[in-house]
Formats: sequence, C-alpha cells, structure tokens
Amino acid sequence: MRFRLLPYLEALAGLVAVTWLAVAQPAVLGLASAALLFLLPVLLAATRGGVGPGLFAALGGAAAYNFFLIEPRFTFQIHRFDNLVSVFVLVAVALVTSRLATRLTAREAEAREQARLSAEVAELSALLAGSPASSALDKGIAALTERYGAVRLLDGAHLPERDAAFSSLDLSAAAWSAHNGDTTGHGTEVMPAADWTFLRLAPKNRTDSGIAAVARPSDGGTRAPVELDHLAELALLLGQCRDRDLLGRERRERERLEQGDELRRTFLASLAHDFRTPLTVLSGRLSELASTSEAARDALGAAHRLERLMADLIGAARLESGAIAPAHDSIDLTDAVAAACEALAVPPDITLTRAVPADLPFAAGDPVLLHHVLVNLIDNALRHARQQVALHAEAAQDHILLHVDDDGPGIPEAECERIFQRFQRLDGNDRESGSGLGLAIVRGFAEAMGMTATASSAPLGGARLTLAMTAYRAALQ
Amino acid sequence: MSRILCVDDEPAILRLLSVVLAHDGHEAVTAATGREAMARLAEGRIDAVLLDLGLPDRDGLELVSAIRAAGPVPVIVVSARSEVTEKVAALDLGASDYLVKPFDGDELRARLRAVLRQHGGPGSADAPVIHGPVTIDPARHTVTVDGRPVSLTPREFAVLQCLAEAGGRIVTHAALLEQVWGKAHRQDVEYLRVVVRALRLKIEADPAQPRLLRNEPGIGYRLEAA
Repeated sequence: MRFRLLPYLEALAGLVAVTWLAVAQPAVLGLASAALLFLLPVLLAATRGGVGPGLFAALGGAAAYNFFLIEPRFTFQIHRFDNLVSVFVLVAVALVTSRLATRLTAREAEAREQARLSAEVAELSALLAGSPASSALDKGIAALTERYGAVRLLDGAHLPERDAAFSSLDLSAAAWSAHNGDTTGHGTEVMPAADWTFLRLAPKNRTDSGIAAVARPSDGGTRAPVELDHLAELALLLGQCRDRDLLGRERRERERLEQGDELRRTFLASLAHDFRTPLTVLSGRLSELASTSEAARDALGAAHRLERLMADLIGAARLESGAIAPAHDSIDLTDAVAAACEALAVPPDITLTRAVPADLPFAAGDPVLLHHVLVNLIDNALRHARQQVALHAEAAQDHILLHVDDDGPGIPEAECERIFQRFQRLDGNDRESGSGLGLAIVRGFAEAMGMTATASSAPLGGARLTLAMTAYRAALQ
Repeated sequence: MSRILCVDDEPAILRLLSVVLAHDGHEAVTAATGREAMARLAEGRIDAVLLDLGLPDRDGLELVSAIRAAGPVPVIVVSARSEVTEKVAALDLGASDYLVKPFDGDELRARLRAVLRQHGGPGSADAPVIHGPVTIDPARHTVTVDGRPVSLTPREFAVLQCLAEAGGRIVTHAALLEQVWGKAHRQDVEYLRVVVRALRLKIEADPAQPRLLRNEPGIGYRLEAA
C-alpha cells in the first residue's frame, strides 16, 4: 500500500480540535467525557485511513489527553492506573476499527469490480446481438480492443504463420489452445513468455479450433488470473457471435447456389424447348416429303442428327453445371434396351441383335439418364459398324454388364480411355456424323448414376463398349 | 372423320399438325391460346385435343384439368417439355397420352387412333377386350394369345387388364401400382417390373424383344397393338 499523508493530517486536525474543545471547556466536559471525545478522531482516522492513521490518532490522542488534561497537566506523567487504561482503549479501538474498515473497503471494491465485469459482459452481449452478425462481431472486437489492447480472432486449423504480430512461440501457444482447449500464453502457466494470451471461442467440450488472441497489456504488466477468467468468458461471447455469423454466411451461400442451380435448370429447359419447336416443324415437314423425295430423306436424317446433337449439348451443359440429380430406381434392362432401340433408326445395311436374359437382375439407376446413355452407346456403334451391332447383357456378381459390340474399325488399346473425353474422335476424322460429345455424355451420366463405362475390343472385330451397372437390391416381398 | 382441336402458339406447328391429321382424314381445328381453346371446345363437336403445354396465357397442365372437367374429350399432350415429372403430371391430371416434340407423324396418328378408339367404343366392363393378338375376357378371367390360352396369376391378369383397358395409351407406373396393388404401393416400381417380366414370358413371342408390353423410361407401360 502506498503511503498517504492526508489521513494523518486529518487525524492531526481532529486531535487538535478535540484537544482544544476539551481544554477550552473543562467546566462543561468532565474528564471522563473528554476521554470519550478522543475516540472520535481515532474512529475517523482508522475508518478513513486504516491502521497507520488510526494508531497515530490513538497514540496522539492518548498523549494529548495525558499532556493537556490529566494532572499534573503539561507533563506526560501518569499517576493513576485508569489513565493508562484510557490509552489502551484508544489503541484497541484504533486497531479493531481499522481492521473492520479495511475489510469493508476491500469487499466494497470487490463488489464494484464484479459489477464492472458484469456490466462489461452485458455490454458486449448487447453489442454482439446486433445484426448483421459480421458487423456486430467487428464492433464487439473493437470494444474489447479499446479496453484490453489488440484482440484478434484466429482459426487454430489455419494459424497465420506469416503474420509479423505472432512469434513462433505465440503460434505454438495458439496451437496448444486450439488443440487442448486451455487458455495459453501470456498470464497463464502454458508458455507465459508469449506476447499474446489465447482463449477458446467455444466451450471445451466442442470440437472447434476458433481462438481469440488478446495482446499483453501495453503498460508491461501481467494479466491477473481473475482478468483471464473474465476474458475467457468474453471470448465465449465472441465465439457465439462468430457461430451466428458463420451460420448466416453458410445459409446465404447455400441460397446463392440454389438460386444458381435453379436458374441453370430453367435456362437449359427453355433452351431445349426453343430448339425443339423449329426442329419439330423441320422434321415433321420433311417426313411428309421423305416418301417421295430422296433429298427430303437426306434432310430428314440431318434433322434427326441435329435433334440428338442438341440433346447431347444440353446433356453436356447439365453435366457441366452439376444440374443432375439422378433417381435411384429399379430398371429392367429389357425395357431400357427396347426403348433405346426404338428411339434409333437402324440403317438398312446393318443388323442390330440384342440378347438380354430374361432372368437378369434389375439394375439400379435413373431410367431417363440410362435411356440417353444407351441411345448414345448404340448410336455410336451403329455409326462405326460395317454390318453388325450386337447388344448383350450378363450378370457378373453384384454387377450387370451390358456390352455393345460392333464390327467396325475398332479402337486401339491406347485410345480406349480417350474416346470418353469430350470432342475426341479417332484419326482426326471430322467427317463422321458424331458430335464428339456422345461418349463423354455416356461416361458423365453413367458416373452420375454410379455406373462405369469402358471400351475394349469386341469379338466381332470392332469396338466393345461396356456399361457396368449395380444390381437393384431392394428386398421384394 | 374426326374433328381434332390442336392447341399451340406456334402457327408453323399448327399447320404441320393439320397436314399430319389430314392423312387420316381428320379435320384440324386450331387455337393459339388457352382461352381460344376453351372457346372452340365449348362450340362442341371436338373428338380429341392435341395440346401444347407452353401456352402464352395459361399453364398447359392447368388446361389439361380444365378440358377434362369440361367434358369427356380425350387430351394428348404434344409438348417440347421432356421432363419426366411434367409427363407424369400431365398423365395424372387426365391426359390420355404424351408426345415429346419433335414427334413422328406416324406415331402421333397411331396414338390418336388408340385414343379415339377408346373413347368411341361402347365399352362394357365385362365385354372381352381384344388388343392385337391378345384377347382378355374379364368375365371368365381368361386370356388368349393368338387363340392359345395362357394362365396368369391374379396380379398378372390385373396388370394386363389395366393396360388393355387403356387401349394402347400409356399408363403411368403409379397408376398401375395403385390399381393393382393399392395406394400404399404407388412407389414400388419393382413389383411392377417383376410382374411385367413374368407377363412377357407368357404373352410375348420373344420376351427379350417385347412388342406388346412397351416401356417408356421413367413413365410407365403401354400395351401396343403389334
């Protein structure tokens, strides 16, 4: 405790006043009353100044009482035992009162401090409750920075390694805090030499790597454990606000993505729609003429190719934009193969054979996507075949394999992967009628449904394209 | 022969439909909007409607319900919208069939014939249904294919009868499941797949290349008069 002069002066003034009163009015105040009067400065000094001034007043009072009031006056001689008692009483009063007063003051200070801390928590809570959460968080951090010095929020999983504000010791302390959930760094027992104190943003029982960093006090002092506890509480409040901010961000991001998806879907649907209307007129009119005109027949064939090219382009766009959500249905391959074969015009010089066993397990997939896949596979085979295209399906353990074989030029082994890439045609031959997208869509749609598409050599001499599907395992009653 | 109301906002499509219908001797009555379509319908003497879903003034699906509510005129949707959900919704709302643009003229006429036959006939519940080579006698619960009797389980019979009653029109998976298995099984397509597979073994000449029981991916089945 620092030495303060004022209480001593006050005590002295009190003593002088009381002594003057007692000496000046001896007739009014008896000796006993005068002795009681000397208690006043003692109580006053002990309450206001503590033990030192209290004792000073007690001893001074006893001396003044002795010197000015007790016979023989103006000497310090004590003749009677009861006079000695009054000295003792004054000293005892001084001691007891000062102890009580000190304790009371301390408790008062403690209560004041507690109230201040609670007010700070409430104030921060109010700041952080504001919206939007991100600006509330900034305001909260600013308020804490003003009171405690620099405050930063860190992610323990991505600590700012290159930040000049944090030494390697700081980063170690931060990592420890993020990992073990303790408060670390300055003022704590864990790496106290660090320049920052690191506190968790979330309660210890939650896996969360967020931490708050509070700089060491600028006056060079050390933060007390009480203050650290308080800071830990404030850090949790910051953590709650950060959670709110993150949730809001996630929600906004999700909404943005959903809107984008919706927009893409709508765009692709309307694109398909806009293509189909003129194509309908074109192919409808041409097919009316096709029976009599070879030119119209050729044009009709071109219109049909255009139709499929459009379907492929839109399919590619759907794959690109991720706007595909495959259904998971049971599919009888007999149905799927029949529908795909019907959708295609088989050239008169090619025979298309199919062998789908009647006891084949059902496959799992999206019927519409699979239809597109099969149409493209068979169309690809028809375009490369010389005379023959053969489809056959077989069950192999958990899988169902569909092979599409042709007797065309085949695919060199080294190219078997490349043909599934976009705009790839072998030998740089660009006079063929394919779009270069067909097999890319086969692979893209197949993978979206959890199927695989591969190429190899067919027993017929040409290419074999194989679609491997998973069996549909829903229990039948 | 019949008067067919064609509803489409694209004049070139309406002209094309007129030509396609003229092949079978049908007369095309045209409308470019939903309002116009309902007006033509109210004038009467319409045997069937070919309806585009993308109309300027009204949602096509809503129009399907409106036409069905106005009278017993069958509706074939002819739309550029190819999403399965759209097709199923149209069929559920009472459309008799669904064709995606660009359509094939022959196919359109075949579907129209099936629909007109269905609605023109007297139709008694117990009369034998003859569908191509298949004859179904509901009263005796017997089925013959090319005159040769086949024995079917009750489920197989029920599915076949449903399809035959639709007379070549497509019946959605959900509708078949609901009629044969009950409402609770509307989603259990694999039940249907098992029965259809068994049926094919009994009535198709080559079960691996079905000609009678035809599937439309993701939509449903139809019984084709092969």
